[in-house]
Order: sequence, then C-alpha cells, then structure tokens
Amino acid sequence: MAKPMVCRVADVPENTLKECEVEGGLKLVVANAGGEFVGFQAMCPHQDVPLCEGLFDGQTLTCHMHLWQWDVRSGAPQGIAEAPLQRYPLVREGDALYLGGESTALDVGELFNGLSPSILEKLSSLAKKESHPGGALLYKPGDPAEDFYVLDSGRIEFLVGRGAAPGGFMLRKGEVFGWAALLDGYPARIASARCVEDSSVLRINGRAALGVLEGDPACGFVVMRRLSALIARFLAGAGAK
Amino acid sequence: MRIQVNARNRGFEFDAQPGEQVLYAGLRSGIDLPYECASGTCGTCKAKLISGRVSDRWPQAPGKKYVRQAGEFLMCQCAAEEALTLEVSKFVYPVEPGACVPQRCAGTVREVRALTHDVMAFALELEGPRDFDAGQFVLLAAEGVPGFRAYSMCNYERGARRLEFVMKKKPDGGFSQWLFGEKREGARLQAFGPLGKATFDPALDKNLLCIAGGSGIAGMMSILARAEAADYFSRRQGWVFFGIRTMKDAFFLDELSRCKAQVTVALSEEDVPGSSAWPNLRFEKGLVHEVAKRTMAGRYQNVRAYVAGPPPAVDAAIRVLLLDAKLSTDNIRYDKFS
Repeated sequence: MAKPMVCRVADVPENTLKECEVEGGLKLVVANAGGEFVGFQAMCPHQDVPLCEGLFDGQTLTCHMHLWQWDVRSGAPQGIAEAPLQRYPLVREGDALYLGGESTALDVGELFNGLSPSILEKLSSLAKKESHPGGALLYKPGDPAEDFYVLDSGRIEFLVGRGAAPGGFMLRKGEVFGWAALLDGYPARIASARCVEDSSVLRINGRAALGVLEGDPACGFVVMRRLSALIARFLAGAGAK
Repeated sequence: MRIQVNARNRGFEFDAQPGEQVLYAGLRSGIDLPYECASGTCGTCKAKLISGRVSDRWPQAPGKKYVRQAGEFLMCQCAAEEALTLEVSKFVYPVEPGACVPQRCAGTVREVRALTHDVMAFALELEGPRDFDAGQFVLLAAEGVPGFRAYSMCNYERGARRLEFVMKKKPDGGFSQWLFGEKREGARLQAFGPLGKATFDPALDKNLLCIAGGSGIAGMMSILARAEAADYFSRRQGWVFFGIRTMKDAFFLDELSRCKAQVTVALSEEDVPGSSAWPNLRFEKGLVHEVAKRTMAGRYQNVRAYVAGPPPAVDAAIRVLLLDAKLSTDNIRYDKFS
C-alpha cells in the first residue's frame, strides 16, 4: 500500500507549523524544526486545543491555552506539561512528506522516547502485545514482579500500596507501570494495576530489558534517570510538582 | 453530598452543599482543583463524570466549547444532584500550606464612582477580615443577577475588610449592567474567593514586568501596592505597561505616577499627548504588547511577568514573553477573563 501523503514541503516554511489531514481522516501537525520535518498529534494532550494554534520557535512548541510545552523533535514534555506528544514518523520523498507509520507506545513513552533506534528495536523485539478488557486486574501487591508494561491504548488505574483509595494514578499511552520489575530487590509487586477500559499493553521482561540497557550504558543512564523521576512523581505531595 | 475526584496522581473526597458548584466545594475543602477563570469562560475546570448526576447552572457558558465528549462538564458551573465520582485529567494536590483557602462570603457595595465613560470603581465592605494574595480575584454575584463574574482586587492588605475593584461596562454583561444601572451604594453582594495563581509575594526577589490591557490593570495595582509596602523597588526593577485606546479611557494615572516602577501608558488609537499632567509616566503609541516588546528588548534577565486583560491582548503578550523574551512558563503569570 502506498504511504499516505501528508503535505508538500513548501506548505511548511522553516520554523512554522501546519495542521494536515491524511487520507483516512487522521489529523496531525507538521512542524518544520530548522529544516527537519516532524509530525505529532493535532490536539493538545491536555484539553483538546488545536496545537497548530500554538507558539513555535523552531524547537519548542507551547500550547497557547495553558502553556504546556514540548520539544517537538522528541515529543518530550517540558516545563509544566504533564504528558508527552504522540509523534508520527514522516518520510520525505521529493517535494512531499508522507506518513511513515504510527509511532509505537515505546517511542512515545516517557521512559524510552528519543533513545537510539537500535536500542528501541531490541526493546520492541522483547515486547509482547496483550489486550485486556475493562475491569481486568493486571496485578496486585505481592504478585511476582517479572515484567513491566507500557500502555499502548486504553486507560489503566495504577495504585501504589494496598488501598490508599479513593482512586489511583490514571495512566495514558506511553506511560510505564510495573517498574518494580526494573528494580533490584523488589521481586514482588508494590502496587496494583487495573484496566479502566479495554486496554492494550506492551509487556516486557524486566531482566531482559536491563540486559539490553547494560549493552549501552549511556542510554541505560538516561532511562534510569527518567525512572527515578517517574517514581518520585508517585511520592510527590503538595508543592512538589 | 459526597464527591470523589480521581485525578491523574491520586483521589480526593469532599462534601458539597446542595446547589453548590463542584469546583467551589473542592477549592474551599483545600483541594487545588484545576481552574483559571472559575466563571464559565476558559474551560480549564473540565472534568468527566463517572457516576452520579449534575445540574448545569449555565448550559450556554462560553467555556462549553471545550466540552466535546459525552459525560464531560465544567466544574465551575455544575452542581451535584447526588453523590458523584468524577475524573480530572491533571495532577491535583492539596492547597499549599499557608495559601489563602477560598470561602463564600458576603459584603456591601460602597464608593461606587465612574473612572471613565465605561469603567467604574467600587469597594466591597466585608463582614469580617479576609486574607488574599496580591494579584488574586474573587467571584461576585448580585441578588437576582444569575452567575458569578470574576474581578481582581486593586488593593492589598492582610486581613482586609474592604476589597476594591474596577469594572468595565459590557453591553451584554449582566452584572456590569446591574452595577452601572442604578444607584447601587449599599447593595449586598455574594462573593467567593480569593482565587487565582497570578500572585506576587516580595520573597520572589525578581524584577517585575506587568503588562495590562484596560481593566486588567486592577490586579497590577494590588501587586504594586504589595511591592510598595515592602519597598521592593529599592532592590528590584519594575516595569508596568498599561494599554488603553485613547486618553479618555485612562484611569489610575495619579496612582501609577506615584509608583516607583517605570510606568508606560500605551495608546493604541491616539497619538501621544504633547504634554501631560504626569511627568513620571511615559506615553507611547501602539498596542500594549508591542510597546512592551520595544521597551523591554534586552532587559529580560531575572524577570517575572504578570499579564492581564482581554484574551487577545493576553495571548499577544504571552507570545512576546515566550518567543522574544524566552521567559520560562513558570515566570509568566496571567489571568484571562473575558
């Protein structure tokens, strides 16, 4: 099947944004970041505001509504933003841009986005895709913690401990849970994860993933830094945003 | 009625009075639910209903344009009809210790006076002392006029017994027409507040940049009063840009003229007057964000900016502060009422 065309190169001058609709109805924003073309979701992950109305300086995109910011090249959230941008790989052929496929939960995810392609490829070869119906309990405290998960679609409620209810942490696409599997000395789950709606996840063996990261300590260090920040966020209280 | 809010990071429970908006019930219980205008225009307090029933006090609220999916509603306009569970797609934390927790209160209208052909000043005499932070606002409602409107305080003091406001006359503004309509001295108002995160405290210790369009100057007057009381401008710089259309729209110029910050009045539709009664004020022709951009070039080191006014003016100023000044989003504080 031919790759769907997104727009002409000339439609997106340097350091500008354009919203494009691809055959099939998918909307995305194309940014020209100093000559490099990147594609990402059309609506702000915060509140359904069109990102093509945002402020763009060639590197950082700011949604005008509540000033969430991202580095468009990586989709990584900056400043007060609480979620990454979902990116769409673009392929340039001649004077046109084409959709190169949808980015996977691993590319989008807070833990692994922007890592070297070879590491991402190895991690994705370890990933098993699973689907679970709404209401399904993936694990509870005390269960063996061998695998971690990356949420691909749907929503998962994540709750550290045994019942600090009401309500847990509501996860989105690309977010990682079950990270006890990446920690030494935590053979059992310390949290529970339940599907709020029908959800699909990538399931990856923690030990095997650590093996991949040990093969590239620079990448491994980035992942561990992000993992510590992620864990700190679950512990954060008032004023610790 | 019991309300459970599931935020992205954790859950909260609180009680709401019958008919009380979900947002106000949560805020007065010390839970920092997301909001900006708290009065139906911005859509920031959008939440998703998981169970229970709500009644919408203002189904035509402008902020409803951000409510697109089934089950979504604005917490500032909806009241619980029964116990609720709802979901908020943001991180939510308890109100920071020491912050002024908003409450309902009542007051009496005093000192109504015209500042220009379409701007009035008035004060609200409170029944007891209230604390607020410089730059905050309250919601006001008059009996028989539906809905709360947001107004920034112009004054600042701890334990205030009087709140001072300015109000622009709006052709379709129920509350502003009410105030402009007849003699309102002595009328009773319901209030909820203080609200708003565009606050200033002298401990900030940064240079201050205030950009205000029209009645957006109100919150800046409070910030300047706070700064003045702490002799802030003896150690930090301050710049104030006050945008109006013509000199007949000007007010507070005597007060601004006494301020130790450098104050520029931007006239968008009239040439700069040849001479003025305020030698301490600069007058420039242009839209306020453009005048600020020209004057501030190269002076953005260690700056905290406050912005208020009509939404298009606020958006234009934020664009300058992000793209030209390269300020971090944490150092841009704004109120965007419409």
